[in-house]
Amino acid sequence: MTQATGPQIGVTLYSFTNEWLTRQFELDGLLREVAKRNLGPNIEIIGFQNFKEFPDVTDDFAARFKDMIAETGLNPVSCAINSDRFLRPGQQPIDDASLIEYHKRQLRSAKKMGFSLVRYQFALPVELLPEIAPYAEELNIKMGVEVHAPMWAGHPAVKAYGEMYDRLNTPYLGWIPDFGGTASRIPESMLNAARAAGANEDLLDKLKVVWVEPGMSHEKAGRLREWALANGHAPAHIQAASLAFFILSNNDPKSWAALVDRTIHIHGKFYGVSEDLVEEAIEYDVILPLFRDGGFTGTIVSEWEGHAYLGHNGFEQVARHQAMCRKILAS
Amino acid sequence: MLPVERVIGEEGLRATPNGLRLAMRLPWYRSLPFSTVEVGSLSIDGEAVDLADAVIEYDGASWPLAANGEQVNSFWFVRDSAFLVLPGRDLPAGSSHEVALNIFVSPPYIPGMKRTNPQTDTLIVA
Repeated sequence: MTQATGPQIGVTLYSFTNEWLTRQFELDGLLREVAKRNLGPNIEIIGFQNFKEFPDVTDDFAARFKDMIAETGLNPVSCAINSDRFLRPGQQPIDDASLIEYHKRQLRSAKKMGFSLVRYQFALPVELLPEIAPYAEELNIKMGVEVHAPMWAGHPAVKAYGEMYDRLNTPYLGWIPDFGGTASRIPESMLNAARAAGANEDLLDKLKVVWVEPGMSHEKAGRLREWALANGHAPAHIQAASLAFFILSNNDPKSWAALVDRTIHIHGKFYGVSEDLVEEAIEYDVILPLFRDGGFTGTIVSEWEGHAYLGHNGFEQVARHQAMCRKILAS
Repeated sequence: MLPVERVIGEEGLRATPNGLRLAMRLPWYRSLPFSTVEVGSLSIDGEAVDLADAVIEYDGASWPLAANGEQVNSFWFVRDSAFLVLPGRDLPAGSSHEVALNIFVSPPYIPGMKRTNPQTDTLIVA
């Protein structure tokens, strides 16, 4: 009899972007810190954040990385790869053959370092999937496309990918939900950061109104900008306020139910968890049971993105987020 | 200044035989091809610096700033500083200067996005 294990807990090193960029840790030291604080064992790493040799990792580096993993006892679940298609700003994207090879290079590197799956992006045109999926299958590494704001289960791009997934019908392709697509409100910590940057209350009030209006994120950002400029707000304040459009959308938290079956990994996006274990913008108590009860047994990696507007340390927030997830999953 | 927004590197400003050398940091959370990064402007003590002859030095390689848009296969590791070298320009070691640098980033997986990252700091020439 197979024992259902339920969702697993982990962390993406992206949560520690502040510590990483300020050179507080080398990679081995950061992995040791994650292990010491019991924030693993399951981890995700963005290839282009933590591996200097990415997208082409040498055998020597891969061996050293595996030594770090063995020493710390961590489990390298997910390597985030990128669909870098627009290498010359303002010009045509790179050709399809180059983009396919770019993905294969990253898949090889992830496999070589021992990751079980990669996170990839919608910037990969869906019609190229048939060229890449067989290679992932050959390498025996799964690929999950990240459903990140402004995407959500009902977005046309997600539907197009779903149709291609049906056609290719392989267990090597799946979804990676990022809960920022179904935020119920703009995090107060983000609004406070905009206030600290000098944004006035009427700009933030307008932001809250426009953010929940229907329409594409960039159009809504444009609407806010137009209104704000006409009402005398400074461009720097508008840029601080507009961050919400690019990392958060307010789609229905229950909409994730449609993607549970093909979900292979989850980005537990969050901004701030209170001492009584409640996330300030994302309704985890609504979302997590959908995956638990739907049979998801992959990893939810805690992904603190407060570093987009705060200089804080990510460790304490990740510990709280994991405690919150465990509490909800056990309920 | 948030870590993801800083553009002036920890190594600061140095006078070298090849000219003034300014450390730059990539204002993004991940490494990017140099072709997606643009040095928008630099001024020292309030005066705009002509960047026509400027050179980028990174990890043992160097190329003219004017050819940076061609560096599609050269990745700027997000932890590293890259250096902007200004040939023929000199400042006395130990002197203090206000440096204003603006770097534009166009993430290659987000079409149409171009972020502006200005930073001003007072640096002492090493």
